[in-house]
Amino acid sequence: MSEWLESAIARAQGINDWLAPKRADALDLLANSQWPTRKTEAWRYTPLRPVERSQAKVLTDEVNLEPIAIADLSAIELVFVNGKFDPSQLAKTLPDGVSIALGRDLDSAKQTDALNAFSTIKPQRHLFGLVNDALAQDVVIVTVAEGVEVAEPIRISSLLSQSAESHTRVQVSLGAGARLTVIEDVQAQGESLNTAFVEYNVAAKAYLEHYRFALQTGTNVAIGGSHFNLHDHAKMHSSIVAFGSDLSRLDTDIIHAGEYADAKLNAMYLLDNKELFDLHATVEHAMANGTTQENVRGIVADRARAVFNGRIHIHRDAQKTSAELNNRNLLMSDKAEINTKPELEIYADDVKCAHGATVAEIDKQALYYLETRGISRSKAQVMLNFGFINELIDLMPNAALAEWVRPIIRERFAQMDVE
Amino acid sequence: MSNTKSLLTIKDLHASVEEKQIIKGLSLDVKPGEVHAIMGPNGAGKSTLGYVLSGRDGYHVESGSVALDGDDLLAMETEERARAGLFLAFQYPVEIPGVSNLEFLKAAVDAQRQARGEDPVTSADFLKEAKAACKQVNLPVAFLKRGVNEGFSGGEKKRNELMQMLLLKPKLCILDETDSGLDIDALQVVAEGVNSQRSDDRSFIVVTHYQRLLDYIKPDFVHVLSGGKIVKSGDASLALELEAQGYAWLQNEPAEDELEG
Repeated sequence: MSEWLESAIARAQGINDWLAPKRADALDLLANSQWPTRKTEAWRYTPLRPVERSQAKVLTDEVNLEPIAIADLSAIELVFVNGKFDPSQLAKTLPDGVSIALGRDLDSAKQTDALNAFSTIKPQRHLFGLVNDALAQDVVIVTVAEGVEVAEPIRISSLLSQSAESHTRVQVSLGAGARLTVIEDVQAQGESLNTAFVEYNVAAKAYLEHYRFALQTGTNVAIGGSHFNLHDHAKMHSSIVAFGSDLSRLDTDIIHAGEYADAKLNAMYLLDNKELFDLHATVEHAMANGTTQENVRGIVADRARAVFNGRIHIHRDAQKTSAELNNRNLLMSDKAEINTKPELEIYADDVKCAHGATVAEIDKQALYYLETRGISRSKAQVMLNFGFINELIDLMPNAALAEWVRPIIRERFAQMDVE
Repeated sequence: MSNTKSLLTIKDLHASVEEKQIIKGLSLDVKPGEVHAIMGPNGAGKSTLGYVLSGRDGYHVESGSVALDGDDLLAMETEERARAGLFLAFQYPVEIPGVSNLEFLKAAVDAQRQARGEDPVTSADFLKEAKAACKQVNLPVAFLKRGVNEGFSGGEKKRNELMQMLLLKPKLCILDETDSGLDIDALQVVAEGVNSQRSDDRSFIVVTHYQRLLDYIKPDFVHVLSGGKIVKSGDASLALELEAQGYAWLQNEPAEDELEG
């Protein structure tokens, strides 16, 4: 076990609140966990040295940080500053049928529900998920009542000052037939360390639109997870945009817990310098007639490293499942590295599944075509790279978010070295 | 006419692809405003000529020279050739999802403007111009928003090539089997577009397997390409002769270097 984890466990043991039984479970599991090494499959390509060496500390001083504005986006802001929920940034009146509250402030019936639901969607195998179970100080519970369609997105922002450590946790529950958009975002000022986990329970016929932006770079360490439980006829559409940092790791779990659920996941990563980004995406088809479409695209430049593990597990009873997983990567330098591993495990016999992973250089025919129109090679490369990612941005249902992130990605390309 | 300076002069061009000789001593002289048709059987090197002239990777010029407006074309990069006024309309235009047609067209026009020392065209002005070009080639304006050639039918791709030609206003257009895969209506649209661009200072090389296209685009000269060189040249009537006789007669008049192999 590492010193970092020992200290985390010691700190967690001092917390005694409404989540005590769940925190104790997590601590038990942590006590019996091995600190991951290169031999640990889930961390094989993602060394934890940046965590071991991290000097980030939980800061107790009051700090005022505000999430960056997104043009044309009016959102319900759910803000954590250095791990602490900032209620002053939350709208005084929420739409009917929407409740956002700290778990400790809930009445006892609701608190019991929240306690029972806590950590039931996020699988126990995520080591830092357990750390988050044990250490997340302010756990925020979001519920949308049955049949309520929430027009404004909820934006969960985790803001960190220099060298801050934070552990944030949000539990989102959509009632039957409800509709909601949630945006997860981390903004960090350097040398920070955060774990940010969200569990989503999407009841029958509900629709969740989800965005996760992991755009912190440089010396920040970010480990997080988005975990989804889909009931009968539930739908989700998720878009993930990531840059890399010293260590940036995201685990997603999509569980088809009901029949006829539909999941779409589009993830894109753009890595430069010595950055690392690691996406572990798992889909569990536990029930029949579910569909999953997963498109993951990355561009890796300089000496950056991308890790993608995409697992689709089709259980024995999940007949008539249709699942597709596609991972495409472009390498922009010969020192850039991609470790991609799509995994299909199928135990049902009447399913439609496809998966593929490619690592390629830029399409030479397309490059030539652009050059024959007078476009310079370097400009053509930027256009093609951008186009490769832009296809997935075009699929974002929320136009304001697409228009916000598009120029950010364009800027990123302008900075990336084109050889 | 004979005193006019040539726009394109190809002299004894030899070129290979993957170490295989395809062009074997081709010479051609094109003056401003002329339309030259190059016909020939499959495998004669018709498409290769366009690729060599545009500077495609993997197409090696072994000897000979090509001058465009007096400048050494072969010394230029592909994009410089385009900026110098060369345009190749592809037989199979490439699909580029994620790059919008409008963005692509503007980047191409701006690259040429930049080469001439002009500022980029404003988005509003360009959109107007692009919409007009769409109309002229009979493509819905919505195609500007779509990925370059993405999901376009064969005819739509060819019309998109034509639209690029309208916007880029090249000096020399090489149409590589522009008629392939087009029905008669689409063929007419493309031919009308080409004819509308004919002028005293713009020349065309129309590469085709069939005479059909030449009913609509009347050539000044017709050349027969076989075995990597031009084996016969004539006026428009040569195309009709080829249509009537096919290319089989060429087998009886092989080019010299074909005898070596």
